[in-house]
Amino acid sequence: MISDTAKSRTIIREAASQVAGRPVKDSQRLISSGLIDSLSILKLIALLEKGLHVSIPTETLQPEDFDDVDTILETIARVAEPAA
Amino acid sequence: MPFNSFSYLAFLAASVTVYWLLPVRLRRTFVLLASLAFYATWSVAFLAIPLLVSGVVYLVSRWMCAAPASAKQRMWAGIGTLLVILVFFKYRDFALDNLNALLVWMSARPRGFARTVAMPVGISFYTFEAIGYLIDVRQGRVKALPGFLDLCLFFLFWPNVTSGPIVRARELFPQLGFRAPFEPRFVFEGIDRIIWGLIQKTVIANTLGVWVNEGFSKTAIPSTVDAWAVAIAFGLQIYFDFAGYSNMAIGAARLLGVHLPENFRQPYHAATPAEFWARWHLSLSRWIRDYLFFPINAKYKGAPLSLYCSLLGVMAAVGLWHGADWNFVLWGAMHGLYLILFRVYENARNTMPALTRSRLASVGWRVLTLIGVTAAWVPFRAPNLRTAGAVLSGMFIRPGMVMTYNTTFYLFIAAVIAFCAVEPLLARKFEDGETSESRGLAWTRVLGRPLVYTCGLLLFMMFDQHDAQFIYFQF
Repeated sequence: MISDTAKSRTIIREAASQVAGRPVKDSQRLISSGLIDSLSILKLIALLEKGLHVSIPTETLQPEDFDDVDTILETIARVAEPAA
Repeated sequence: MPFNSFSYLAFLAASVTVYWLLPVRLRRTFVLLASLAFYATWSVAFLAIPLLVSGVVYLVSRWMCAAPASAKQRMWAGIGTLLVILVFFKYRDFALDNLNALLVWMSARPRGFARTVAMPVGISFYTFEAIGYLIDVRQGRVKALPGFLDLCLFFLFWPNVTSGPIVRARELFPQLGFRAPFEPRFVFEGIDRIIWGLIQKTVIANTLGVWVNEGFSKTAIPSTVDAWAVAIAFGLQIYFDFAGYSNMAIGAARLLGVHLPENFRQPYHAATPAEFWARWHLSLSRWIRDYLFFPINAKYKGAPLSLYCSLLGVMAAVGLWHGADWNFVLWGAMHGLYLILFRVYENARNTMPALTRSRLASVGWRVLTLIGVTAAWVPFRAPNLRTAGAVLSGMFIRPGMVMTYNTTFYLFIAAVIAFCAVEPLLARKFEDGETSESRGLAWTRVLGRPLVYTCGLLLFMMFDQHDAQFIYFQF
């Protein structure tokens, strides 16, 4: 699990850009703007788990928890567990 | 009291006037009473159902919070209770009819049963809101549990109780304090939406509806031209009917200073089947995404089998949500199939980039989406699967160029299609206008508006058919 916030932010931004197919900014809305659709959120979660070496339990999450880079950072800080 | 009636317009004008004259502390009670009165105009007895749903949600949410360790099981108990109420009123006849058909098929004697008299207005919509609310409580998204009367107001709020938009607790509750001070733009924005909604419903949807009714009442296989014309006409009718209703709902809430979420974004401009659902009935699409599709697929990490099965299953369920008939299930399953095909195509992008990035592929998907969506409307509208099969045969299997309707029908469809083509441009202009007026009222526009509103009302009076209810009202 990566504890460096700046590094985590970069990994999240890169994962989001890869899924969106274009570079994204930290404040850019990903889900509510339609940039990432409901199926692609799953790809984003898989990339985040791989890049940040975490497991993201999704039982209490909704797509809006991945709406922008800052929100994703908060979500991961709240629910992510170190990868087994 | 349907939205497209003078009695509703009188109710709306009186309610909004009283609302703004009242002190803030009385507004919530007044809107609750007005909402109860509005619902009671459909059926006083059925007022018990949304109150029962509010009571179930109130008790279950408190029960969940009392024991966080058992919250999940208690949430499912609450959702189960809500679904039992929905099934009893909406799907009981359908389930028993199918059970009897099964018994006949197995050479057993069918059972007689008392048919449900009617379905409470808006039950599909407020049940989904209630289920979403319980899931939000379980996920810790509802910070302070509201009281019973607040929940009644949330589920019965008159602008959206009959047919949505389906709202989430966290977007409507903060607005139900009705503390916003009066602003003239609430009136103009609200009336703009209501007048446009009335025109969409009465001038466009109702006019198309006359031909659509005729087209789907025939038993013979229509010619290719007529089959396509009728299918396209229904696609346009249901869009303008439901978008018209949604505009009137959003406009009514706007008159009270409340924002409801949008329901449409020019759906026939969708470039892919997935994009269609990001433009059509947005509040339902969002509900399905958040509370069904995402949890199912996140659990299985988006594995292809679960993904494809859930696309087909969830979309068939969306069809069943619309109505208790196999026609609706077929409509949903067709959309599920389109979404699966598009997903397979997207996965192939990595292996065939040259083909899939071409302009031809992009145009091809746009055309296929329109054809697929139009074909799916046929079982949605047809009175039975036999008629749906006849119209689909005319569209795809038996070529024929005979035109049996009068020329006005084909010209009217062409005019509405032309309007849809330029709709995004008009919408952008309208939004720009609203933004500039929000900064400061443009008084020339304010003076011009009464004229526009009068013309709108005259059009409504000219085209109004008193028995033409909104299509989504039956869901």
